[in-house]
Amino acid sequence: MSDRLIIQQKNGHFVGRFFAMASDCEILVDTTDELVASQIIEQLSAECLRIEAKYSRYRKDNIVYQINHAEGAAVAIDAETYQLLNLAQTCYELSEGYFDITSGILGKVWSFDGSDCLADQNEIDKLLPLVGFDKLHFDQQYIQLPVGMAVDFGGIGKEYAVDSCANIALTTVPEISVLVNFGGDIAVSRPKRDAAYWQVGVTHPNPQKDTKVLVQIAQGGLATSGDANRFLLKNGVRYSHVLNPQTGQPIIDAPASVTVTGDNCTQAGLLATMALLQGKNAECFLTEQAVKHWCIRL
Amino acid sequence: MQLSKKTNIAAKLATATCVLLGSTQPQAETTASEDWQFDTAILYYGETDRVSLVEGVVSATKDFGDDHVFNGKITYDGLTGASATGAVAQNEVQTFSRPSGKGGYQVAANTTPLDDTFRDSRVQLNANWSQPLGSDMAGGAGVHLSKEYDYLSVGLNGNLAFDFNQKNTTLSVGASFQYDQIDPVGGKPVGLSSMPVRPYSEYDHDNDDDESDSEISDDFYDSAFAAQYREREKSEDKNTVDALVGVTQVINRRTVMQLNYGLSIADGYLNDPYKLLSVVDTSGVTQDIVFEERPDSRTKHNVFWQTKYAMDNGVADVSYRYMQDDWDIQSHTIESRLRFNVGESGYIQPHLRYYQQGAAEFYRPFLMADEALPEYASADYRLGEMTAYTVGIKYGQKRANGHDWAVRLEYYQQNPENAGFTEPEALQRQDLYPSIKAMILQFNYSF
Amino acid sequence: MKQKMRLALLAIAVSQAVGCASLGVQPWERDLLAKEEMSLNAEGVDLSLDDHIYFSKEATSGGRGFAGGGCGCN
Repeated sequence: MSDRLIIQQKNGHFVGRFFAMASDCEILVDTTDELVASQIIEQLSAECLRIEAKYSRYRKDNIVYQINHAEGAAVAIDAETYQLLNLAQTCYELSEGYFDITSGILGKVWSFDGSDCLADQNEIDKLLPLVGFDKLHFDQQYIQLPVGMAVDFGGIGKEYAVDSCANIALTTVPEISVLVNFGGDIAVSRPKRDAAYWQVGVTHPNPQKDTKVLVQIAQGGLATSGDANRFLLKNGVRYSHVLNPQTGQPIIDAPASVTVTGDNCTQAGLLATMALLQGKNAECFLTEQAVKHWCIRL
Repeated sequence: MQLSKKTNIAAKLATATCVLLGSTQPQAETTASEDWQFDTAILYYGETDRVSLVEGVVSATKDFGDDHVFNGKITYDGLTGASATGAVAQNEVQTFSRPSGKGGYQVAANTTPLDDTFRDSRVQLNANWSQPLGSDMAGGAGVHLSKEYDYLSVGLNGNLAFDFNQKNTTLSVGASFQYDQIDPVGGKPVGLSSMPVRPYSEYDHDNDDDESDSEISDDFYDSAFAAQYREREKSEDKNTVDALVGVTQVINRRTVMQLNYGLSIADGYLNDPYKLLSVVDTSGVTQDIVFEERPDSRTKHNVFWQTKYAMDNGVADVSYRYMQDDWDIQSHTIESRLRFNVGESGYIQPHLRYYQQGAAEFYRPFLMADEALPEYASADYRLGEMTAYTVGIKYGQKRANGHDWAVRLEYYQQNPENAGFTEPEALQRQDLYPSIKAMILQFNYSF
Repeated sequence: MKQKMRLALLAIAVSQAVGCASLGVQPWERDLLAKEEMSLNAEGVDLSLDDHIYFSKEATSGGRGFAGGGCGCN
């Protein structure tokens, strides 16, 4: 898929579309000035690609690769990476260890293809000592992982990119409402001129429906987490692709998808993921947190 | 996972993510309604020389998530002033008994008789719940309760809405049931019976004069007079069933229309116990005053059509309503509101309404003494032929934070008309169909 | 005459419901329709206050839906 940027004019606003982070991305700008709209769209799409390049685990030329292949040595990090690690730590603590960016290596033994092939417990047991955010050390300058451990920013990377772009829009064009939508993770920099909602079509969170669903948002963020087509089904029990980092086992009875609104996209996305980690208590968790949410169970 | 302690994770994440993004914590601007939304209004309605009304409303709405919405509303209104009784003016002073029978009032010559005993306050409570019932279906139910000193009303309603065609078409059905209990002041008068008049009242022109020149003692007349009121029914009731079917259709990106058909069947006491008719002789002089009598059932059909059009900078709203019932009343209502957005968050909205109704079959502005009493008769001008129009303007501001306010000023004029009754000589010199002119002033505030 | 009028209105209503596959918009074209002032229930408080006034002063009531409320005014 190319990451070619297409800019179109619509009724009263401009839309920029491109493909990044394995998603259809769009940026909506509430202005009729083509020059201003193009500039901000180009700036934000560049920012999205920058974050993808910097934190993707599929590349061999970025800081994530260096950190994960340092063989136990300390690696120098910048302010942005430090802030992301701080956030990951907060999530680790708030979720009492369930949200853990070091749990990615467990993916080696699980393949979530809708079959009933659960992973072998021995294989899981070999990897468990290499999972645990509390086992790594970091400060403002360095991060050091024990040998064999790896960090994965996949769980927060897209939402962070959405918010970072919305922030840039707010500082660069503070009078103009900009909506950033990267594959259904959305943030709006500020309300539109006429205080109306933005309206975007996003892929229906229910994987059994292939229509789009309409989202109305005036400000703040919205994120969706779900297992969509990545799950296992055995003896009528649905195993989510989200794993419990302490046991290496999948969370069972999680909703197929969770959508949450929040002050920004990252907060919404983290709440959605934490809800999924609650399994059958996802809805209760979100209700307790008093955030507007929608869960779909199949 | 089971969290051992229920921390406010959402708030902590909000702070943590704001640190990450280097942004300040945003104001609580999400329009996600975790809180109650309040809409309040206070309205003043005043007719020249007649009824005045002050009404206050507080409406509270909350979305409990997923479009599960509750609305509760409390309304208070206080009514004062004088209302036409339906009796006709004469070229001399007339005396009428108050509805309670405990006293009377006088009407000057050549003026429309008005009963100024209307001082009434009413409280109403409404509660409604609505929620989706599936991906293309929604439903709701509600209750209401209304109480004033001589009237109690309770009701239930329910409705279902079905969406088709990617929610471009919605079919709605609804029904309501209402039970009203009327406890008229002084009891329920017998229809078309004469209004009791205290026999010595013609000597009581001076209110402070308690001497009587009557030959028969006050006590006798008092007890016979009072007995007429004591013997009356104290309470009556009525039931009303309503059904509504409607279609809402999105026409294009700017236009939506609605078409409703409604059926209403009321059964029970439908009279206004305080309204009167004058029985006049062939020269137009009042011989007797009687109470009105209406049928004890009424079936109404109405058709309502509304269009809303989104202009670039506002909204145009036009509607038409046709009503027909088995009292032979037909009415047409045309109404339009044009909203123009001005400034950043303001709007100005002129409003026009035109209303026309035909008289009820049993409407009589007066009765002739030499004719037999009809089975039903009412001189209430609200059942007669009339046209009415309203001209108004509203200005308001809708702010992004949800604190909206508005002010509305309207002029409403009713012009009752002669539905084809020949007036005897004395009545030709009276204005039997005076216009009623009213001003409406309203303030709204939402938060 | 009244009967014909009633039938005509019913026919319009039915045709509205049935022959409407061509009318309408895609979900993402609802930007204008979604504005609060385009809702058919917009200004609900005003409409119910007006309803109350006109119900008390005229012989007709209702049309839009159930305001829900009875009083001794008519």
